[in-house]
Amino acid sequence: MNYSVKEITERLQAQFAGSADLSVRQFTLKSKAKRSAALYTIEGMVDKEGLAQSSLNPLLVYDFGSQTAAQTYQTILHTVLASSDVTEITEEQLIAFITSGFAVLALDGAEKLLAIGVQGYAFRGVSEPESEVVQRGAREGFTEPLRVNMSLIRRRIKSPDLVFEQLTVGKTSQTQVMLCYLKSAASPYLLKKLRQRIGACNLETVLASGYLAEYLEDPHTSRLFSGVGISERPDTVCGKLTEGRIAVIVDGTPAVIIVPRLFVEEFQGVDDYSNRTYYAALIRVIKSLSFGVSVYLPAVYTALAQFHPEYFPSWILIKTARSLSQTPLPVTLEVLLITFVYEIMKEAGLRIPKSLGHAVSIVGALVIGESAVTAGIISSSTLMVVATAAICSYVTSPLYPPVTMLRFVFITVAGLLGLWGIVLASAVVLISLCSKTSLGVPYLSSLSPFSWRTMRDVFVRANWKTLSRHTIKVQNFTETEER
Amino acid sequence: MRVEVKFSSKRFLLTLMLCACSVILLQNHDLSRDASFTFRLLCLAAALLFCFGCYLPSVFLRKRGEDILSVLQSRPKWERWLITAFYCGYFRYTAVYFLLPYTDMFTKKYYTEASPCLIALLLLCCCVYAAFKGANVITRFGIFLFVLAMVTNVMLFGGSLSSLQMDADSLVPRGTLGDFLRDAGYFLTPCFTAVLFACLSGYTRNFRLRQPLIALGFTGLKYALVLFFITFAVGEYALRQDYQTFVLSRAAHFGSFSGFESLYMALATMSVFMIIALLLCAMAKAVNRNGSLPVIVLFAASVFAVHFAAANFDSAKEIFNSPSLLNLLSVIAAVVIPLFYLIIGRKRYA
Repeated sequence: MNYSVKEITERLQAQFAGSADLSVRQFTLKSKAKRSAALYTIEGMVDKEGLAQSSLNPLLVYDFGSQTAAQTYQTILHTVLASSDVTEITEEQLIAFITSGFAVLALDGAEKLLAIGVQGYAFRGVSEPESEVVQRGAREGFTEPLRVNMSLIRRRIKSPDLVFEQLTVGKTSQTQVMLCYLKSAASPYLLKKLRQRIGACNLETVLASGYLAEYLEDPHTSRLFSGVGISERPDTVCGKLTEGRIAVIVDGTPAVIIVPRLFVEEFQGVDDYSNRTYYAALIRVIKSLSFGVSVYLPAVYTALAQFHPEYFPSWILIKTARSLSQTPLPVTLEVLLITFVYEIMKEAGLRIPKSLGHAVSIVGALVIGESAVTAGIISSSTLMVVATAAICSYVTSPLYPPVTMLRFVFITVAGLLGLWGIVLASAVVLISLCSKTSLGVPYLSSLSPFSWRTMRDVFVRANWKTLSRHTIKVQNFTETEER
Repeated sequence: MRVEVKFSSKRFLLTLMLCACSVILLQNHDLSRDASFTFRLLCLAAALLFCFGCYLPSVFLRKRGEDILSVLQSRPKWERWLITAFYCGYFRYTAVYFLLPYTDMFTKKYYTEASPCLIALLLLCCCVYAAFKGANVITRFGIFLFVLAMVTNVMLFGGSLSSLQMDADSLVPRGTLGDFLRDAGYFLTPCFTAVLFACLSGYTRNFRLRQPLIALGFTGLKYALVLFFITFAVGEYALRQDYQTFVLSRAAHFGSFSGFESLYMALATMSVFMIIALLLCAMAKAVNRNGSLPVIVLFAASVFAVHFAAANFDSAKEIFNSPSLLNLLSVIAAVVIPLFYLIIGRKRYA
């Protein structure tokens, strides 16, 4: 089929319905046939100067003489265009390319279109991710453009074993998604499963990796804890890739998805591998304990205060009893109320402008906290318990959402059934966790199903000599034959 | 219906070991009064040896790659129904056998204001969820329970060390035939794990004969330690009390640091939870409705109904408090029936 510039332009303008950012630059080539050509771009997506230098100027200056349309096309492709990134495309791919920042050249009578890589949109530079700050690791974090993120990974793994596989999601947004894995490490079965799940995503628009994350979770498993990991650090992603995991980079977001995700990973950090082994072990134990404290402390306090005060040591019992007797609310309601107020203050702190944050802290700490205790509305011991749990919950920040939910559930159960209720609720949560899988890999792997070999990097990090002896692939944890 | 993934046999046996160990947690005047500690150890050894014997028919079936419930699938309909009905009845009986002393202990010793039926109901609701998730998930849960059991045992035994008063008289083997029958009968209770093995071992892989042997060995060790500390750390006081292991947990202390009964209660609760969940799983498997929620709910409701009756009528309670009856049923379920099919199968293969 031979293209006509006029027809393509009309169809494109009709599809864009007169959108102001569609730019069409029609011109006539210097030739005997006075052949028409057009460059299609989207305003703000291309480097105009680069486009002029690499494409427009040479096209207008070059003399094509009496060449046929096919010859003119070949001359443009091989001789005229100075751009390093030129792709032959069809009209069906036209919109996808121009919306990705390419300039597309159409020529009267040619059988193909030419997409010229002159992307030049503004984007945030590479900077340290605020949510994953490290002491001794790299200071680079992912940014929004997909290609920049790909280069950040490629720079760390200079091997042809590293594969980027492009997919598109979102019926309207046509978002580019890149599967990133090491050919020798990733399981073909997990890859197939992942492709199927991404293919099943029928969203209109995919604006962030969070949109896609839900589609990557295993069906019929608990959604309380996430079976999908997120990282903004290229070094973290590279580390995971060597263990057979697969990264999913979504264009337009710095948060890269990593699957499968295991529970023990929540307690590991990049710094663990730079620090001394004993210190890394200490940090991991602290993280595990903090997780336990943040979930259980308010609930255990509620259960003890309400049902089993005899378990308090006598000196605490007297002070707690005195403190609680001066407040009007039952202890369960009091703990629930303070936890709820804390969550409100946390949300407010996140959303308000930084300049007002200080004021909110003062209002929260002094006005609400101090005054409520002085006025006898809440007891100081309850406030201390909730505050301790709240601080501990930030030690394992990726687990904050499930921890918060569990805290509310456990406090309620403790208020109704005491310590026995906490035990029963813990059993249910454990069963739910034991049944959870991430891309078919048990979420609690290393712990349950238990594996001695992998324990070298769970609570304690073994030294690098030991760790380098065998690389443990994540697919080895699956209990099915399909790995 | 869910297709159960084959899981490690080691993990399954660990779970069964924890189930077997929970028997001693609920011990309540089940042992003879006059027998000495050493005599009881002999009874324990004899009983656990017999228990191992109960595993053997299912082990041979397992070697053929089958469990008793899968063997039944190829039998005539009437026969399948009959045996399935027996197993379902047995599992229901066993569930109530453990639920009854647990709720009784809870309301007598731990929280007197609670209603036994409410406790049973809440526990059963959680068991339904666990049974719905399947035997594989329950065995994974077993690993965490094992850690809790280790911590609790260290606390109980370590905390009782300071109270130890060795009595040379108790070390002399002393007891009558009646004492032997009573004590050995009680120590035979872990036979119910052989029935669970007979019914659920088809889900497992990498089975070795030494696995049940090791599991029973550790069960014996746990029993022996509990008996040792009950006899020598709390002594006569414990014998006068209900639920002696609970008393041991209450008496254990490290200086002024005490109150391990909560830890003990957590272990007992989770153990009973796991046993009943496994029994519900086995029941669902027996009727070939593995992972079917309505079937599991139905079985749980029937367990609750039986528990309700047993908790309110003493004559019914007697039936569910009898280790002898449980042992008899366990032997039929773990030895007689599998042996029958083993012989039939052998003839067929011959």
